[in-house]
Amino acid sequence: MNDRILVWVFVLISTSAWCDVFVRWTGPALPPAKELGLNELVLSWNDNLSPQVRVARRQGYHVYIEVPLHRAATAAETGASGLEGIILAVRPSEAGELEESLRKLRSDHPRLRFLVLNPDGKAPQMRGSLVIKRGSVLEVSSPTAQPWIDTNLALVKIERRAHPGQIPLYTFSWAGLSDSGQQPLALTAEDYSLAVAEAGAFHADLILELDERLQKGLGERDPEAWALWNHVRPYANFYSHTGEQGLEAAANVAVVVDHLDTSDEATNLLARHNIPFKVLRPVDLKSEDLGGFQVLVIFVKPDREACERISEVATHGKTVVLVEAQGSYPWQNGNSVRLNEHAVSYAVGDGKVLELSEPVIDPETFAQDIRRLLGTEGALMSLWNGLTTIAVPYRRHVGAVKELEFVNYAEDPLRVQVQVKGSFASIRYETPEGKCCESLAFLRRNGFTEFVIPELRIAGRVHLKAGPSNDVRSRRVSSR
Amino acid sequence: MRCDNRRATTLISLILIASLVQGAENQVLVYKKKYIMGTVFEIAAYDRSAEHASDAIEKAFQEIVRIDDLLSNYKPDSALSKLNLSAHFHAEKVPPDLYRVIDESVHFSMLSDGKFDVSIAPLVNLWKAALRGEGMPSQARQEEVRGCVGYEKIELTPPDQISFRSSCMQLDLGAIGKGYAVDRAAEVLHSLGVRDALVNAGGSTILAMGSPPNQEAWRVHLRDPSNKIDPQVMLKDESVSTSEQTAPSLLGADSAGHIIDPDTGMPLKTVFAVSAVSRTATVSDALSTTLLLLGPTKGRALIKNTVDVSAVWISHDAQVEAASGGPQILFGNSLAAPSGLGGIP
Repeated sequence: MNDRILVWVFVLISTSAWCDVFVRWTGPALPPAKELGLNELVLSWNDNLSPQVRVARRQGYHVYIEVPLHRAATAAETGASGLEGIILAVRPSEAGELEESLRKLRSDHPRLRFLVLNPDGKAPQMRGSLVIKRGSVLEVSSPTAQPWIDTNLALVKIERRAHPGQIPLYTFSWAGLSDSGQQPLALTAEDYSLAVAEAGAFHADLILELDERLQKGLGERDPEAWALWNHVRPYANFYSHTGEQGLEAAANVAVVVDHLDTSDEATNLLARHNIPFKVLRPVDLKSEDLGGFQVLVIFVKPDREACERISEVATHGKTVVLVEAQGSYPWQNGNSVRLNEHAVSYAVGDGKVLELSEPVIDPETFAQDIRRLLGTEGALMSLWNGLTTIAVPYRRHVGAVKELEFVNYAEDPLRVQVQVKGSFASIRYETPEGKCCESLAFLRRNGFTEFVIPELRIAGRVHLKAGPSNDVRSRRVSSR
Repeated sequence: MRCDNRRATTLISLILIASLVQGAENQVLVYKKKYIMGTVFEIAAYDRSAEHASDAIEKAFQEIVRIDDLLSNYKPDSALSKLNLSAHFHAEKVPPDLYRVIDESVHFSMLSDGKFDVSIAPLVNLWKAALRGEGMPSQARQEEVRGCVGYEKIELTPPDQISFRSSCMQLDLGAIGKGYAVDRAAEVLHSLGVRDALVNAGGSTILAMGSPPNQEAWRVHLRDPSNKIDPQVMLKDESVSTSEQTAPSLLGADSAGHIIDPDTGMPLKTVFAVSAVSRTATVSDALSTTLLLLGPTKGRALIKNTVDVSAVWISHDAQVEAASGGPQILFGNSLAAPSGLGGIP
């Protein structure tokens, strides 16, 4: 019980900002933290770390070192004094021993923070169809006329479940921006701003790589480098302010998976289609309150106890989608309708269980199917002209949505129409570039509130104030 | 879990071999992309000056934005939106680009005996709602909306006036507008001295200008829903477009789609994806939708009567139907046409 309280205290303290951006520094000269606008610095482990740490601390940074899990204990024991924490790069083969190692490290070194890093993030971007590879080969790889975006939202959701006591921390390599065709890659202020905005909007922490030339330029006070960085700083600042405490990502779809695999395309596509979902493990089916979910998507073979929960959820009018369903289940005694060659629908109480006999071979269509299952009434939010936009709704544990974070991967101003479930009395909008806050006109219709963001460039945040028909116990959203 | 190639509607891959051979070293490749018309436009251009190519590409993008401001039915202030609001009451004077696109559209409508029809918008909107999960439209509602559709009710009065002979008519240029924008962007590039470039509208329409350095043409891989055929085409000052119906639902018996058959008023049911090659992107864009609606049998007849046009229909189970009066369509790693493919030269 005490452990659980400690975890929640840790989480609440950690959520005092929307996100922390850690900057990974490999360059020779380091500008002061105050000028860079970032306080968290990550250095690679080496045998002569102490002088670097001293310099960085003098420059105003909290210094972290990044080490493989198997070297963490050594690093903690022999590491330079003045370290703020240790960032653990965990190989898949070490995942089983992670929790025990973490517990021991935290117990042995209570003054150090130990953070688990997911290094498999993607460079956020709107992808084109042309992919320029080394050797000057161009290939149109996207099979879709709709814009494809690389987003880390699914990874963040998976990390949140994998390490519930820690704000998700990830990093990525800019080499993923392969379609730019420029060698060496010339990163822009928009690229960095989008990366910072994405982590901030997803309430995750990010280790940001700065390319070598930029590091050198910043260290040597090159005006061009600082001109670029001064466009990024407002983004770091925007997400570093204290956010409203206790908000969590709203979700009315639960995705139950056995393996927390960030490369899974089905979860990536759900995120890509702005379907608010929460990742659960099979064990959560038995313990979690599932009442808030309209749709459960289950990628594991349920055991007897899980089957009982599934039946219970469906009985109360919800829809359960069982993927790769093989075998006999209790609901199969009820009325059934064959939907197509691979799908059967079973009526269970006021709801239904849909069995898909095969794996999800078309994640794009599957995501659209889940959206259709939610229907107009069940959608927490919908966007129009938002094909390059990810929106994440936040709320208290129960109640209406209080904030919406927006990220536009096209990096060009976009007029986005938004419909959010609930009846709201005011809609206020802020951006990294502007002051808080601009009031937006809105329309309440059929239990939804509609408004237009006139120009979403890279990032924006909407504060929603509950109207009279909402839970009166909800606290008012405070502006900064 | 693999990400299946049928993620959505389309297509195409393209390979260009460049700068690998002697003599090409003074050509630089410049690439840019921009989100316009609800898709990603990309331009890759070879030029002696990166700065010049970059400026030219930016101007080409500006031209596409200008065209979008005219042809968009999402933007309330576009020329098309204004036409859709007022042409039921009186002949509306429209900008030359809008007149030209609608004129071309009506030409394709006549050519296809009404299969291609830009007045299909009310039906498209009806079925879009179904795709969003708002339920299938009733028969009565379908009949009511079908009454709003029919290209013959569009009246064009040269040089620039258009009126509708239906009180509920709405035009949607989604099946031709991107192609038109690609052509205009290519004109801008050409006027600024860029000779070798590729303009790509989201993978569904690609225009090849000139060729890569020391190459005769640009090799473009076409959409293959079966993942077995690998069709390709060599393009030089030509365009290819691909159309495919929205993939069917994995969890439902009834499935809508974004391409509506004017004859039935319902989403087209077809097993094919079709790629059409022609001299301009406007034609290839309109033609691909038309050929998808017509199917291979009637489509071949249309191709036979059209100059410099090729097409290939490929199904999910690798059934191939082709017709060619223009560039040769190649198949597979051997780049040879499979046996029994009539129409492939």
